Amino acid sequence: MNRSARAVSALALAAAAWAPARAQDPRIGNRLDAPSRAALVALLDSARAQGIPVEPLMQKVNQGVAIGADGPRIVAAVRTLTREMATAHRALGTVATADEIQAAASAVHAGVPAVELGKIKKQSGLRRSLTLPFTVLADIVSRGVPVEAGVNAIRSLVGAGAKDTDINNFQRTVSGDIEKGAPPAAAAETRAKAVPAGKPDDSAPQQL
Amino acid sequence: MPEWGERHTTLEMIVQELQRPVRLDETFERRVMVRVRRLHAERRSRGWIAIASRITHRPGWAAALAASVVAVVTLGLLRGRPAEGERRGPAPLEPVQFVLVAPDAHSVAVVGDFNDWGLNDGALIATNHEGVWSVTAPVPAGVHRYAFLVNGKQWVADPSAPRASDDDFGMPSSALVVEDSTR
Amino acid sequence: MESSDAELVTRVLHGEVNAYGALVSRYRDRYARYAVHMLGNREDAEEALQDAFTRAYRSLARCEEPERFGAWLFRILVNRCRTSGARRVRRGRTFVHDEAALMRASQEHPAEQTMWREEIERALGELNADQREAFLLKYVEELGYDEMSEITGVGVSALKMRVMRACDRLRTLLREVHSA
Repeated sequence: MNRSARAVSALALAAAAWAPARAQDPRIGNRLDAPSRAALVALLDSARAQGIPVEPLMQKVNQGVAIGADGPRIVAAVRTLTREMATAHRALGTVATADEIQAAASAVHAGVPAVELGKIKKQSGLRRSLTLPFTVLADIVSRGVPVEAGVNAIRSLVGAGAKDTDINNFQRTVSGDIEKGAPPAAAAETRAKAVPAGKPDDSAPQQL
Repeated sequence: MPEWGERHTTLEMIVQELQRPVRLDETFERRVMVRVRRLHAERRSRGWIAIASRITHRPGWAAALAASVVAVVTLGLLRGRPAEGERRGPAPLEPVQFVLVAPDAHSVAVVGDFNDWGLNDGALIATNHEGVWSVTAPVPAGVHRYAFLVNGKQWVADPSAPRASDDDFGMPSSALVVEDSTR
Repeated sequence: MESSDAELVTRVLHGEVNAYGALVSRYRDRYARYAVHMLGNREDAEEALQDAFTRAYRSLARCEEPERFGAWLFRILVNRCRTSGARRVRRGRTFVHDEAALMRASQEHPAEQTMWREEIERALGELNADQREAFLLKYVEELGYDEMSEITGVGVSALKMRVMRACDRLRTLLREVHSA
């Protein structure tokens, strides 16, 4: 290594040592231990850099603090959510809203493959928000409806132009049936057929 | 005097007025720099800048130092673009009623994403009507997670709402999607 | 060609203290506007702004993104205004604090415009500090909610509520004044 290169290396090391400590997001405050705070700041910065909505991550921190979870557990939860939101973001594409990304992340967390969510988004295009459909999908899957049955039910509801109120009713009736002992898949398939169709979706999928 | 027309026109007029430039006293900058130079002098006397000064007097090293500083600074994570779909104006608030049947409870509160999970004294306190606890509050349009906090310590999901797939902390919570009725 | 914020910050950190004057000139008037409307009078606003510039200089090495020095400085100012607002009881809200300013105002604007501005300032003073801060950041300084949240440490939903309430209250107050 020649003299100039050594000089640059030495200076880079010196500059790195001198580099300012990472500024802390004020909302994290001092409720958590220092390593957890530092980890959270890094996660939030990384999320911002990727264009991922940061507010749900901050609220995950708040939830953890409110419940009394320790710092490492909160960091793990935020890391998981960040990963799920990034996955959802990639699957839904640039036209997805922050709310849709968050709802899709909850479906991913419940076990729905992101690619299925992307297909529903492509099918729906910009005609409607998928925040509620994805939220309901996460709910019914977490109650035991197999992923495939849940995805099929939501896809058919969205495709038929069902309104949010209908999808809300669908969630209530399916969860009620399951509580009464119905097999989850049967409950979802049956109730999806009963939802009145809105404006039929017989147009070609929108180009995104 | 301004015309009192549409709600948005009134707001526009208020904002227009408040956005007029404000000029400070001409001596402001001088007063700030007096304080700053005093701080600078204190630091110099502690030798804080001495090392950097010696380095920058060597021309080759000055360029290398500048490059290193820039490289280190840009290693810091930059602000990404804002999340898609963020509204330009304030999100409309929609009244939402939260109800929990809990005849044996002494207190019920609602906490969630819309009130920082009660951390800043924002918990919604429900009122009791023969064991049926309820509270109605304006919640911004969007998706939120929330839970009931019973007797100040028991976390309960809303049985009438979708579950939030949210098992990170071992406590149940619910999902709420508030529609923007203005769209 | 004008130096960028990053260039000026680097020069200051290398010991060229006078370069900081350029940063003060650059942000002085814009942030004075926020401080004046937040605190209600020039004296307190100048004090808060001076304090913010001094603190920023003192901790300049901790400015992570020198190209965004302005935003970083603004966060410091918002905090100073909060502290100043909490302490301040003595001066009250008088937007036009001195005769010279009053003279300038009447020369620059018709009398009715001056009255209208005073009414707005009075109405702004009727808001609680949280609502006033949120309203000014959103509408006058035109920040996004994520930025506001980063600056204030308050969640986006709470900020949206504060802005909404501030707007409603201002409209009501100014409509009452007009019809009185």
